[in-house]
Amino acid sequence: MVYLRSEEHVQRWLEANGYEAGATFPATTLNELAAEWWSSRLDPDWRPRSVEESQAILDRLGLTGGFWRLA
Amino acid sequence: MDRFDRDVRRVVYGHVVREGRAPAARETAAEVGCGEHDAAASYRRLHDAHALVLFPDSMEIWMANPFCFTPTPHRVTAAGRTWTGTCAWDALGIPAALHTDGLVETECACCREKLVLEVAGGRLTRGAELLVHFAVPARHWWADIGFT
Repeated sequence: MVYLRSEEHVQRWLEANGYEAGATFPATTLNELAAEWWSSRLDPDWRPRSVEESQAILDRLGLTGGFWRLA
Repeated sequence: MDRFDRDVRRVVYGHVVREGRAPAARETAAEVGCGEHDAAASYRRLHDAHALVLFPDSMEIWMANPFCFTPTPHRVTAAGRTWTGTCAWDALGIPAALHTDGLVETECACCREKLVLEVAGGRLTRGAELLVHFAVPARHWWADIGFT
């Protein structure tokens, strides 16, 4: 899970490392994901999320499709 | 996850926020009021449940996500302290978890150019033009969390 400057840098990084392309998206979307995913982390009454609850977060942010399926 | 393990987890995260580092099992045991062996066993169960990540073959905490306790390219300044984010996602997760503004100093994975992101009021006020890449599909994130 890395930051990159541009699509060109994504492609260069993938080729340099021999990686298959995964998912590329804006840092703004990641910030929204981070807020939804981590904002309850320090809650005194924190409990583990279910897979369904976690999937719903991804779905709400438009992170859908096979790559984003948790199970 | 039973009540004891949730209490251990809560104490671990409280220590991280208060001290800026992960507690040893004996420190957690003292705060929870249990034996060190019991705290260590809880660490192992929390690791198995992906609620903490221990270093391989160790009882030391590597990650209490989004906080990381080994160097990465993702330096986060938030709540008056400098932290290490495990990855791009966790770096932005630190200000989110702390419910505060934050500055992420990181680098482009391709060219290593220094990059800055800033979160203010929950919004990305610097670095909004940047991209993120996740190489590993979601169902495999925990297969090798250090790589993910």
